[in-house]
Amino acid sequence: MRGLIFAFLAGAFITLQGVANSRISQDIGTWQAAAITQMTGFVTALLILMFVRESKWRQFKQVKPLYLTGGALAAIIIFGNVTAIQQTGVTFTISALLIAQLGLTFLVDINGWFGVVKQKMKLPQFIGIVMMIAGVIILRL
Amino acid sequence: MLLGLFWALLAGSLVGLQNIYNSKVNEHANSWATTTLVLGLGFLTSFLFGLIFEGANMFRLEHMQMWFWFSGIIGVGVVVCMVNGIKLLGPTYAVSIVMTSQLIFALLWDSLGWFGLQQVPFTWKQLVGVLVIVAGIFVFKFGGLRQPSKSVAQGK
Repeated sequence: MRGLIFAFLAGAFITLQGVANSRISQDIGTWQAAAITQMTGFVTALLILMFVRESKWRQFKQVKPLYLTGGALAAIIIFGNVTAIQQTGVTFTISALLIAQLGLTFLVDINGWFGVVKQKMKLPQFIGIVMMIAGVIILRL
Repeated sequence: MLLGLFWALLAGSLVGLQNIYNSKVNEHANSWATTTLVLGLGFLTSFLFGLIFEGANMFRLEHMQMWFWFSGIIGVGVVVCMVNGIKLLGPTYAVSIVMTSQLIFALLWDSLGWFGLQQVPFTWKQLVGVLVIVAGIFVFKFGGLRQPSKSVAQGK
């Protein structure tokens, strides 16, 4: 039950984040909004990290440098998310975003990119994505 | 609408990519160290893009409202809830619920038009669309159970 509540809240926060960024963008600009929310998020996370004090668990040197750059993608993610919400609304944006997200996961899995264990192309995942696309078309009928 | 679709698809693909990168970092660092790194880099990149495209406008913040300074804390809430949700439910189950919840709240925000965003009136067609998408998510995540959900049993 607690797990369900956490997962449900996580989804609520992710959507809220997109909505808040769109709202802030209206007033100060999209890059400004992306910079400020991540700066304050960074400071908060850093403060928590200092309280948690698990210094053994900070071995960034063992990670391939490419994987350390994930955060840099967020600039384009937030810009895209905000632009899409302003153009098409929240529901359509999140729906299309999730399709692309799962589509990419699927591609990575069947090709075994980034050292992920290679999976055989499976019909259910394909059907799942087709259903999601059908759902988006229904949204826009 | 096509422009919005393009940006949403690009953002979604990058979220998928970022999740893979971040989980690789998470294998060697705790989730707060990972989050700090990810948000710090995100800030630097956004600031840099802003300087390139907007120049000195990046420093003009006269329309700032008080709560804008606290919106970043939402991201911290995301991390806490994701980490605990996955720990308790296992990744397959947790991510399916997270995505469903994202869509439910998206529909809610569109219908209510909170925060001065443009309101998109609720229709039954939209609800049906979202339900079909949610069904698709569950078929994708649980179809053939490609990932062993080993941590499900441990959580309870």
